[in-house]
Amino acid sequence: MNNHKVRKYTIRAVEYLIAAIFAVINLIPVFWGVITSLKNPREISRIPPQIFGFEPTLMHYQTVLSGQFFRSIMNSVLFSLFAIMLGLILGYLAGYGFARRKFRFKSLLFFLVVVGIPLSGGSSVLLIPNYLYMLKLHMTNQFYTLPLIYAAYNLPMAIWIFIAGIKAVPFELEEAARIDGVSQHYIVTRLVPPLVKPSIASAALFIFIGSWNDYITASVMVSGNLKVIQQSIYDFMGFFGLEWGPLTASTTIAVIPILIVFTIAGRQLVSGLTAGAVKG
Amino acid sequence: MGKKKINLSILYTVPASLLLIMFLIIPLIFALYCSFYQYKYMMQGSFVGLANYIECFVTPRISQSFLITFIVTFASTAISIFLGLVLALWIDRRSGLFAYFIEMIGLIPWVISMVVAGLLWRWMFNAELGLFNVIIRAMGFAGVDVIQNKTAAQVALIFVLSWRTIGYAMVMILAGLKGIDDTLIEASHIDGANSLQTLFLIKLPMIKSSVLLSTIVLTVSNFTNNTVPKVLTGGGPVNATNVVTLEQYNLSFVYYEFGKSSALSVLIMICTVIIIACYIKVAKYKI
Repeated sequence: MNNHKVRKYTIRAVEYLIAAIFAVINLIPVFWGVITSLKNPREISRIPPQIFGFEPTLMHYQTVLSGQFFRSIMNSVLFSLFAIMLGLILGYLAGYGFARRKFRFKSLLFFLVVVGIPLSGGSSVLLIPNYLYMLKLHMTNQFYTLPLIYAAYNLPMAIWIFIAGIKAVPFELEEAARIDGVSQHYIVTRLVPPLVKPSIASAALFIFIGSWNDYITASVMVSGNLKVIQQSIYDFMGFFGLEWGPLTASTTIAVIPILIVFTIAGRQLVSGLTAGAVKG
Repeated sequence: MGKKKINLSILYTVPASLLLIMFLIIPLIFALYCSFYQYKYMMQGSFVGLANYIECFVTPRISQSFLITFIVTFASTAISIFLGLVLALWIDRRSGLFAYFIEMIGLIPWVISMVVAGLLWRWMFNAELGLFNVIIRAMGFAGVDVIQNKTAAQVALIFVLSWRTIGYAMVMILAGLKGIDDTLIEASHIDGANSLQTLFLIKLPMIKSSVLLSTIVLTVSNFTNNTVPKVLTGGGPVNATNVVTLEQYNLSFVYYEFGKSSALSVLIMICTVIIIACYIKVAKYKI
């Protein structure tokens, strides 16, 4: 009996130890980045480095935010918002069509969505093709370039999430509304959206993460005043010559919104991620 | 009577499909077209047939970069899936806040941007001041200049790619585990199966497709990832981490050889399509 208890507590202890190691490995770069960003240059180059017990300073944040960086943050915010709006509207409509209707070419169009999920996940496959093509159309370096591309790249995943969400809404509800004389327009724009709020949240989250975190597409598509945040961080690597104070300050700024959104809506992210994968 | 009702349901999907066709399909066709032409900077030259492709195959740097990419992709995906599977099997036994906490912590490397992750790990691996070397030295070993050492840089790249995606693999596989009918597990216990037998005869076969699906997604993601190597090692030292997507990027924006880089894009595309074909076969998507 006693032996059993000892065994149980040992397993518990080992589990917490593994959890702690896992947490440290996952979080240490971000944690160390935040600590570094708060140190003055002398503290940064001090050996051994101090984790606590140094005078924190915001000087690197001032350096970073006084330049073009603030503008690129605003660009990223705007581009992400536009991409989210476009992606949600198009994704919801397509999701509704796929989940509720029968039409010609349905499986062909659905195939496009399915192929798009892994394809756009690693958008660097499309990097050079899209660059050459956009250049031909004179659509590079415009205010609408990135929102359109971000919406397109994240659309397959958004449609996928909406299909799963809308299918979970009982069809009888729509039929009942139709018998009551409600128009199709009302059903699509008023009745269904409130019922798929979790899908809206998780699709929005996916589009936001995809847009906010993109570097490589932005790096070939836009420059100058249209630069986005990740691009500015990358450019800092050359500009500050790997000066780690400003660099870690900029990465910290880039991570904060992601972590806030993720903390609030992490559940939605997981449910969106596994929307189609649950059926073993 | 007589008036035929036209089915307009396709209209729901038209705007989304147009956007996808415009940014996913047409560019690929256009790149295929470009790959048959010579390019001098941005000027399209004469039709050269398969010359760009042949050049891709005979340039040692490019074939070398394919080899590096295959190794890096295989190693990082294998590590992610294996550790993701182990972690998923572990937290599947637990529930509530603890499991939630592990899931969320696991996904953080995946939600932060690759530029940030690459840069922060580069800082961790810094020769003098990086936390990694500080700890290594405190343990009595000689420090390693990770980014300047060929093998170390390759290992670091594999490490960071796995680090990013272990949580993703865990969450996907966990979803598969949660989908297993509990009565099946109970029945196996009643029949006298021990936990190892339950694992190998019930759980693993039941989650086969979610393991396969996440393997495929991560293979594509690691194969086509060029942000992490670009930021972490920049392809160096001496091309040791020059993965194929980085080579493609440099061909375009450093050497301005757009014909050749289109050909290389098409080759990368073919590899990706093969992997995606497996994905569709495994997923058995139906609408």
